[in-house]
Amino acid sequence: MQTLRRGLLAGLLAGLVLAMLDFVTDGTPGRLLPEALHWFGITIANPTISKFAGFFLLLVLGGVFGLIFGALQRERMITISRALLWGLALGFVWWLVYSLLLANIMSHRAPFGLDFGRFLSTFPIDLLFGVVLGAIYFQLQQQRRASAL
Amino acid sequence: MSISSSASNRKRVAVTGAKESSTATTPITLSERSITGLALIRIFVGYLWFQQLFWKLPPDFRGLYPYIINESQHAIIPGYGYMLQHTFLAGCTSLGSTSGCTLFVPLAAAVWTAELLVCLSLMFGIFTRFGAMLATILSVQLYVGLAYTGWIWTYGMIVLLALVLVAVPAGRRLGIDQWLAPRLQAAGQQHRIARIASWLV
Repeated sequence: MQTLRRGLLAGLLAGLVLAMLDFVTDGTPGRLLPEALHWFGITIANPTISKFAGFFLLLVLGGVFGLIFGALQRERMITISRALLWGLALGFVWWLVYSLLLANIMSHRAPFGLDFGRFLSTFPIDLLFGVVLGAIYFQLQQQRRASAL
Repeated sequence: MSISSSASNRKRVAVTGAKESSTATTPITLSERSITGLALIRIFVGYLWFQQLFWKLPPDFRGLYPYIINESQHAIIPGYGYMLQHTFLAGCTSLGSTSGCTLFVPLAAAVWTAELLVCLSLMFGIFTRFGAMLATILSVQLYVGLAYTGWIWTYGMIVLLALVLVAVPAGRRLGIDQWLAPRLQAAGQQHRIARIASWLV
């Protein structure tokens, strides 16, 4: 239960970082936030509500990935290398599922179709989400350990 | 006797210690919250560089061309414009396109690659200080070339942000340097290359 709770918190915080990165884009602020809605085929006509909904959806998805991360640790104390590696792996899964497959399918493109610009704009950011998730999880674990001593 | 003697010794030590602490500089330790905050700043500075990759994408890096022309006309250091005209802009025949330019594409590719390294290093916190040094060089170059084309502090602030990240090991939280730094420090006791590499995390 501890690892699930820690994973959820780490996921929510990593999702918040991701949502904030999507907010501070060149051009209109929050321009990239509605993309998360697009992965699930949701369209909201009002651009402001659409950005807010995208922001909260990223938080929720971050929380879900955090829960998965926590579940994979099976109540064990983990090392920083394990935390970062699992984070990178989940970041890759995020990219594969959302930024590649769902984004392509919802735009009626080939599921694995990819151009250089789209790869560059999505892949590093999704991996970064994973690294931040793993690093926050590890930090929360260390805090817990320090307070227990 | 021995008790009073030891008591007076203790008193003397305490007085000397107080004198030393008033003259010596107290070491500063960053709290977890502070270093995590700096790590977040590092990620956003990396993202700043990341976004600038997209308006000058390979293979032609065309988006960079008007900026190089601008720099060659507004540089604040004498001779810098001349240098740009004989490297990046050598052979160029038009202000609107890169036709005739002989060195523009390879040099622009070098700039783009350096910016890619900066953003990957800062966002992922991997060899963060190296990335921050590279960011400092790139932003000083931007300051020299473009400072007077907008608000003068715009590029100055990017230089200062990069310098802060050179000074503080911001990659050791929320980054891969957290894993890398202790390993490089341990290896650095035996290998000189590892010792040098450990300065860059």
